[in-house]
Amino acid sequence: MTAPLPTPRGRRRERDVPVAVGVFVAVLLALQMFLLTVGLDAFLADDDALAWTTAGFSVLLAAGSIGFYRYLR
Amino acid sequence: MTDEPIWRRDFPLTSAGEDETTRREFVRYLVVGSGGFAAGSVGIALWSSLRSINAGEPRRIVDLDRVPEGTSHLFRYPTDADPAILVHLPGGELRAFSQKCTHLGCVVYYEPDTTELHCPCHEGLFDARDGAVESGPPQRPLGRIDVEVRNGAVWAIENLGEQEAQR
Repeated sequence: MTAPLPTPRGRRRERDVPVAVGVFVAVLLALQMFLLTVGLDAFLADDDALAWTTAGFSVLLAAGSIGFYRYLR
Repeated sequence: MTDEPIWRRDFPLTSAGEDETTRREFVRYLVVGSGGFAAGSVGIALWSSLRSINAGEPRRIVDLDRVPEGTSHLFRYPTDADPAILVHLPGGELRAFSQKCTHLGCVVYYEPDTTELHCPCHEGLFDARDGAVESGPPQRPLGRIDVEVRNGAVWAIENLGEQEAQR
């Protein structure tokens, strides 16, 4: 008895998932780098409120990546 | 001697892709990287909040007769790393501000025709009477420096920092 061949939809899904992970990682790290730059700008311009806002978003993104890590068991 | 485990010698079989990184391992690096960025951002925000304003010590700036009405004089206050500007307004009043634009830290210059302080980097304009933002990207007024005249000389008394402009 032979195993059934994967359907085209199944193959597409296998390909799409790693691409989705790659896009997620690229967007997340690019956003983190952007937020760090904004935070440094805020620091140089003595804008505490903006520095804390960017730090909050950065922590939120880090929490999202931890959630993603837990999801990929 | 190799570092390979005993089970590898007992079962010398390999499979395609066994050396590749799994998604979970990959995302572990992502968590470390993202967490590092987040820690950096929080550190910057903490540093920004905890540093205190240096009020400075009273210091003589310049003789008053060297700054006629409608002109300005550049100096450093409260430290030699802090550029500041003294403005002698038409009518005789003296004002001093930090020269650092509150947008991105470029230095501002006095425009006597319009009684404004102009930031050439992004066209920010501040009122030279109180440092309030008039137009452009800056959102906060310029840092104020308290000045007074003593024996014909202008003295910087105290760095007041950014405060709500009072018209």
